Amino acid sequence: MSRNLLAERETFVVGIGFHQYQRKSKTTYVTLGLTAARAALADAGIEWTDVESAYNGTALLGMGSSRIMLSRLGSTGIPMAQVENASASGSTAVAQACMEVASGQSDVVLAMGVDKPRGGLGAAPGQAGIENLEGGTIVPFTHFALLASEYMSAHGVSAEEVAAVALKNHRNGAHNPYAQRQKVRTMEEIMAEPISGSMTRLQCCPVGEGAAAVIVASGEAIERLGIDRTRAVRVLSSVTRTERLYGPGEGIDAALTAETAGLAFDAASVDPKEVDVLEVHDAFSIEELLYTEALGLCAPGEAASLVASGQFDLGGRCALSPSGGLLAMGHPIGPTGTGQVAEITRQLRGEAGERQQPNAKIGAAHMVGIGAVCVVHVLQA
Amino acid sequence: MQIGPPIVIVGHRCTRCERVAFPPDPYGCEQCGAEADQLEPVELSARGRIHSLATVHRHHDDAMETPFTVATIVLDDGPSVKAVLIGDLAEAAVGTDVVGVTEATGHDDDGIELLDLRFTPAGALSEAVTS
Repeated sequence: MSRNLLAERETFVVGIGFHQYQRKSKTTYVTLGLTAARAALADAGIEWTDVESAYNGTALLGMGSSRIMLSRLGSTGIPMAQVENASASGSTAVAQACMEVASGQSDVVLAMGVDKPRGGLGAAPGQAGIENLEGGTIVPFTHFALLASEYMSAHGVSAEEVAAVALKNHRNGAHNPYAQRQKVRTMEEIMAEPISGSMTRLQCCPVGEGAAAVIVASGEAIERLGIDRTRAVRVLSSVTRTERLYGPGEGIDAALTAETAGLAFDAASVDPKEVDVLEVHDAFSIEELLYTEALGLCAPGEAASLVASGQFDLGGRCALSPSGGLLAMGHPIGPTGTGQVAEITRQLRGEAGERQQPNAKIGAAHMVGIGAVCVVHVLQA
Repeated sequence: MQIGPPIVIVGHRCTRCERVAFPPDPYGCEQCGAEADQLEPVELSARGRIHSLATVHRHHDDAMETPFTVATIVLDDGPSVKAVLIGDLAEAAVGTDVVGVTEATGHDDDGIELLDLRFTPAGALSEAVTS
């Protein structure tokens, strides 16, 4: 791998902010984004004029969304860019901000994500002119229903054991005021309303609107601006990979995650089993199981029983998706990856209240996106 | 379901790295980067084994009648495909052998019948042919 600049210049998350994830409403994306950005600045205790650059993760808004929004904090003339990387857009915004600070080009950078649904995802791969056999029959929830079928068959796991992921994440989301879904659910409710294969409505993430923001800063900026060092969370590594070719029937999504996470944990000098708190891309319940194994927290086939027995609950050996994850917090696309890093920061500060993982020291955030990409960040209190 | 001569699926083989893939690709080889003129059509047998399957209960396209069942199928000739399963699926499971069949899906503007490729359990098909 290329140089890990984050090991050479200490880089921190010093501020976080959200606009609640919610169903599509009349609220403009400008209001959503400004709410999150202002909250992040206030949380860091800095001024907008201290910010030297901004990256805005968005996949659905169309071109040119950032300046009309962020200029309402003051038209300071700083560089801004929209960042699109499918579901990982907000993760890539954070990655760009980290690289810019770690490289020494800037000391204080805003990374954020904002999106509103516009009916369909408009994904480019469908326009590549490559025809396959399935036509329009395989939409994302069916892709993951097929992976659930494979997983249950290979490991002798039941549909209820897969659904236990959703039970846990809805429970976590009930303690998160920024979550789109804030209700504790029963297994009966989780198993109702089949969508595809064993995937039910409550095992599929809601795609609504919202915004998330983080302020990324150098150690020098913390000193110079008088930022509270005890609430700064260090970013140890930031790794992005794209899909390679795998054998017939081999799980692309899990293989890509394993490769990306392996590089990220190596760069951070962290053993995945040391991770206290992990936000994982659980757009569909089965994904949390596949990725938890691919991330190296346990062996293939073990995640289902570990989730069911509470090992990945808040207070367990590692809290998985403490925010409620994509399943309960929601997946508004652009904000999601930034929101994960904000949640991990909150957890590593010990400020997560009722959903606090006790004594959390090391955290990680993992997103995948169609196309297919994977982004992993490793953070330390 | 229409049963005729064995169906072949046309994929491509890269003449530079020998990778066999489906679907055919107009751009280049994903393994070695050879350009499209170095990819040649290759016939793949429409026979394989179910790797995973799911019955779809809801679909955003109202024109698609639910429920229907889809599967990931690893073809005997290598590549894996995803396709709709039809026929008697009572015994269909991961590991079941399947073969390609055609199904009429409507007519084009000139009134010509359109056929689409589906898969069906091989055991059920051989019973259908012999009975």
